Amino acid sequence: MVRVAFSEELTQLRLQVEVMAVRVGEALSRMAQVLETGDEDVAAAALSADDDIDAMLVSLTERCYDLLRRESPVASDLRFVVSVLRVLEELERIGDLALRVVKAGRDEPMLRRQPDLFRSLVDMADVAGGLYRSAVDAWAGQNLRSARTLAERNRVMDSHYSDLLSSILALDGPGATSLAVAAVLVGRALERIADHTVIIGERLRYLLTGDPAHLAAEVR
Amino acid sequence: MVERQSIVDDPPLRIPDLSTGHGAGPRADDAPPVFEAADLSVYYGAFRAVREVNLTVRRQQVTAFIGPSGCGKTTVLRCFNRMNDLIDIARVEGSIRYHGVDLYDRDVNPVEVRRRIGMVFQKPNPFPKSIYDNVAFGPKVAGMKGDMDDLVERSLQRAALWDEVKDRLKASAMGLSGGQQQRLCIARALATDPEVILMDEPCSALDPIATGRIEDLMSEIKSEYTILIVTHNMQQAARVSDMCAFFTTEVNETSDTRTGVLVEYDRTEKMFSNPGDSRTENYVTGRFG
Repeated sequence: MVRVAFSEELTQLRLQVEVMAVRVGEALSRMAQVLETGDEDVAAAALSADDDIDAMLVSLTERCYDLLRRESPVASDLRFVVSVLRVLEELERIGDLALRVVKAGRDEPMLRRQPDLFRSLVDMADVAGGLYRSAVDAWAGQNLRSARTLAERNRVMDSHYSDLLSSILALDGPGATSLAVAAVLVGRALERIADHTVIIGERLRYLLTGDPAHLAAEVR
Repeated sequence: MVERQSIVDDPPLRIPDLSTGHGAGPRADDAPPVFEAADLSVYYGAFRAVREVNLTVRRQQVTAFIGPSGCGKTTVLRCFNRMNDLIDIARVEGSIRYHGVDLYDRDVNPVEVRRRIGMVFQKPNPFPKSIYDNVAFGPKVAGMKGDMDDLVERSLQRAALWDEVKDRLKASAMGLSGGQQQRLCIARALATDPEVILMDEPCSALDPIATGRIEDLMSEIKSEYTILIVTHNMQQAARVSDMCAFFTTEVNETSDTRTGVLVEYDRTEKMFSNPGDSRTENYVTGRFG
């Protein structure tokens, strides 16, 4: 085998993406915790950790550009590097969206005092977290079958979001407006987290099959 | 109730073709065939150097032959203009049809073949004559009539060399740089009004700037000529060609000999993004020589 150093760089890049995925997974755990409890210490840790995620994005993106420049990858190697670039951005966006939920969970304790509304948000957070763990496992295992199921599993978000909107429309009394706005923002953020997770799955399908139809699926 | 269209059910996206056309010739399946090789094998004496090549080369496309050293790329290339005739022990089996005519039919004139199917070699090989006489030589031998000055100028223009040599056409070709000599060889090949140009690693001996000029030249003339190019430079193959043929060697353990085989032949875009054969994938990614 030749280009041993290049092969090792690709392996290292794959591992570093998994490390970043773990960090984002931790961000989602903190997000769920702050949403449920409003814990300010956990919220502070989440804010700090997001800087690390952003820094990883920059560092790994530069590493990808360097590989493209130096090694001129083609075929599966090229699909891998450009897919890493895409997945890095998706991970960073998930991290940002999780942070949005953390801030709302910290700043809007009323969210936890509306049982139906709160239940919807917790359910959405659970779905998003489950989808994310599946996407990360699929990426780590290069598992096409798991990646294929993500879009279908995301459908349940529709009914949760619908329930959330029903609860929001039923809000009444003082503070209802600001609570409604906060709930919509949190709900949208959780929904977007799930969508970005599905995109990771589609990108993995493109990486493994080379079929450009999956690129189209990413943008739908 | 909120209606949200699931991404799973969305109709197929109609994606417009926004390609610049750079490197992309006529659609592979639409262009008429120029060459059709059927079960082409080449022997040197009893040794089979290349085994059963089947491919179709289409008009006004650039076809690249890639593969490791010794896999028979140049041997196959030289079949297309009967240059292998010049090797006593070389023998061809199977067939190559040029516009439906068997190139190796006994009634076919190999000199006329080489007029219509010109060749540029790895090492620039201008004649030890003037720049003008290098270009004019082929047409004169072929008995071409007409304005020779005009023909020489047009050929040098086509080879992107005219501006650099127009004031010294009588100067010796040997005084030109390597890149200029190679463009002179291309002008020499174009002067006989060929349909096809075969190029055997035309840029191997050239620096990157000269290489870039040759590649630009190929882009400019591909609309008028059919080009086959053997290259070791995979980025070059990816840049300049429309179709790509990957050759490799198969080892015969018993006789300890290697025979060249065509592994995969497809659109260049596919060969370098998602090749069908793992051997192609291993070669283009550079993992295995």
